[in-house]
Amino acid sequence: MSKQAVFLMCSPRGEKSASYSLGNYFSSLLEEQGISVKNFHSYKVLRKSELIDKMIKAIDESDYILISTPLYVDQAPYMTLKLMNVITAATQEEKIRKKGKLIIAISCAGYLEFYHNSLALKIYEQFAKENNFIWGGGFPIGAAGTYASYSIPQILEMVAALPEDDYRQFFYGKPAKVLDEVFHKAVTSLMEGEKIPSEELEKLEFVPIPLEAYANGGNKSWIEWAEQLGTADKLRDKPYE
Amino acid sequence: MSYLILNGMNSNDTFIPKINDFLKEKFTEKDIRGEILNLHEIDIKPCLGCFKCWIETPGVCVIDDYGRTVAKKMIQSDYLLYVTPITYGGYSAELKKAVDRSISLLSPFFRIYHKEIHHEKRYDNYPDFIVIGTLSEQDENQEGIFRELVHRNSLNNFAEKVTSQIIYENDDEEVIQNKIEECLNIVGEKNE
Repeated sequence: MSKQAVFLMCSPRGEKSASYSLGNYFSSLLEEQGISVKNFHSYKVLRKSELIDKMIKAIDESDYILISTPLYVDQAPYMTLKLMNVITAATQEEKIRKKGKLIIAISCAGYLEFYHNSLALKIYEQFAKENNFIWGGGFPIGAAGTYASYSIPQILEMVAALPEDDYRQFFYGKPAKVLDEVFHKAVTSLMEGEKIPSEELEKLEFVPIPLEAYANGGNKSWIEWAEQLGTADKLRDKPYE
Repeated sequence: MSYLILNGMNSNDTFIPKINDFLKEKFTEKDIRGEILNLHEIDIKPCLGCFKCWIETPGVCVIDDYGRTVAKKMIQSDYLLYVTPITYGGYSAELKKAVDRSISLLSPFFRIYHKEIHHEKRYDNYPDFIVIGTLSEQDENQEGIFRELVHRNSLNNFAEKVTSQIIYENDDEEVIQNKIEECLNIVGEKNE
């Protein structure tokens, strides 16, 4: 019988999110290896008890669990925590019994730097421990918004046509190439029943462009968005003063 | 001077209400008024991650529910307290539902702070920040995560003074009182 995985997608932005884009791509790599993947979107699941039951059953039967979630205020978002609580309760009620599950997490930060995700990943590791899952490792993703707009294959295709010194090679190309390589190595490890090697995850620990460049570019984007809505002069409002 | 306690306990928790009673007593002794919001009793919708509170309706969440009120109360308090059962090392889901909805209190604009990217202030003044976590017993790993989380939050929420405390369910009353006194030291400093 083929191995099974559960992909828990935890962004309220659904398929328009980086959490979906990256988790979906990772799932496709698992499927290429013959692993059957069942998807659950936390915001939909938590609304219906029958979907919760279905998810818990799938988790119980699975060999791998993938959580892909945004980072809100240094930690897992409320709905991700709520989902984790539902799973922990099911473990305590012995609805999740199959041993030896490997769990991995993708944490998607809006900030440029990967390390904003460090604490969230430690929290997922603690969650794994409390549920007797084997912590397989976590991917700390900075500037994750990029992947909400483009999948890894789309970025790789886009930068292939660009000159080597184009800034997009540094901001989009290098992170996507490294992440793609690490994802592939991670899948190989998981197929062998192993955790993701820490030296692979450490390859994600770099800041692709200067902080100032990201901050300035981001600030310009906020203003452009606000100009379209006619709110540019209100961005610094203090409504509760 | 005022305080706001965001109570992140679960509905069956009998320990955190005792802590909140102590806190209330200590604030009253210092002649500081405030309120406790029992978040598990309040319907607050989850953050949509839409950033509209930064761009479309700057400073106000687009979801018209009590989450807006909580954010308003947070910025209008002098002392903001989180009281939470430590959950996987972090805050409880009940607390987090309110915290996630408070990003409207920040400006969308980025700045470099402590050699990292963070957001700029929206308001001139932000409350001092006190976080109390409870655990059934000592747990080095979860305590480390918790203290680091409070520190990371303080980089993002502009509190001038920050303190955290971990209280165990088997602490006796005197220990609990001492721990609470210790973390309320910053209150005296601001009030003088």
